[in-house]
Amino acid sequence: MVGWIGQWRSIAKEALDQTAIVTKFLCFLHVTNNYLCSSILVHGPSMLPTLNLTGDVVLAEHVSTRLGKVGLGDVVLVRSPENPNKSVTKRIVGMEGDTVTFYADPINGHRSKTLVVPKGHVWIQGDNVYASKDSRQFGPVPYGLIQGKVCCRIWPPDGFGPL
Amino acid sequence: MGVRKLQEFLTIAKEGLDQSFMVAKFFCFLHVTNTYICSPVLPEGPSMLPTFSLTGDLVLVERISARFGKVCPGDIVLVRSPENPRKTPIKRVKGVEGDSVTYIVDPKNSDRRKTVIVPKGCVWIEGDNMYNSNDSRMFGAVPYGLVQGKVFWRIWPRERFGSVR
Repeated sequence: MVGWIGQWRSIAKEALDQTAIVTKFLCFLHVTNNYLCSSILVHGPSMLPTLNLTGDVVLAEHVSTRLGKVGLGDVVLVRSPENPNKSVTKRIVGMEGDTVTFYADPINGHRSKTLVVPKGHVWIQGDNVYASKDSRQFGPVPYGLIQGKVCCRIWPPDGFGPL
Repeated sequence: MGVRKLQEFLTIAKEGLDQSFMVAKFFCFLHVTNTYICSPVLPEGPSMLPTFSLTGDLVLVERISARFGKVCPGDIVLVRSPENPRKTPIKRVKGVEGDSVTYIVDPKNSDRRKTVIVPKGCVWIEGDNMYNSNDSRMFGAVPYGLVQGKVFWRIWPRERFGSVR
């Protein structure tokens, strides 16, 4: 009887140790994903031809955004201002204070609009202006919603490398 | 002679490293708690009078409700400012997406009111002191992704210790 309890206790202790190791690994992964670098699956037509329609895996680094070193021409991962549970990938086309000129509806006309990006905001657009929901629809995006900067593509392998 | 000194040095170095690890693990734990569960915050400024004084209040902000989308009108929230991403003002939520919000445009000079509908995915925040607050009446509705946490408890001053409404 005592032998049983002894065995059970050693099994329980070993299970706890293994769980602790797994937990520490997950914590390390989480910290790396949030503060250093994470891999994201992006899909959709709005960033053609830079990113493919059906799913590319890219690396997004989170250090530049924290240091404020995100600039014009960067492809960034932002939390959507319309749906806080979604993240979208677009390119920064205007920083605060810049004047942006854009076609409100590029398929149906050449009427263009111009505005100045307000303080603390950025203007993002998808590379594929014909099929992209971006700042032309929902306006300039506050800098605080930028989550990371896309630095390179890791899948598919023939597109491997910096964007 | 030299070997003994080296061994002593190694022992001291190992102990130093162990202590550093313990301190680092403690800071990590503190950081995780502050970012994902609950953290103390010092509100400052006149925009939330009389709820929070000019200075000297200490409140607790919990981060769980904001993550699950459980922020309602009447809550006091900590948001990242849409004008300066390094600042985090504290304001009260007056309306969530789809609500119709009526506000006084310039209370010091006139009684003119304006009504807006809060767009999808955004919240409308206002300071309790409408005469001296830079909030959604100036910079518009704030995307929900900028809401960092909800203020739920005041720790200091002691006479007002308790939950915050």
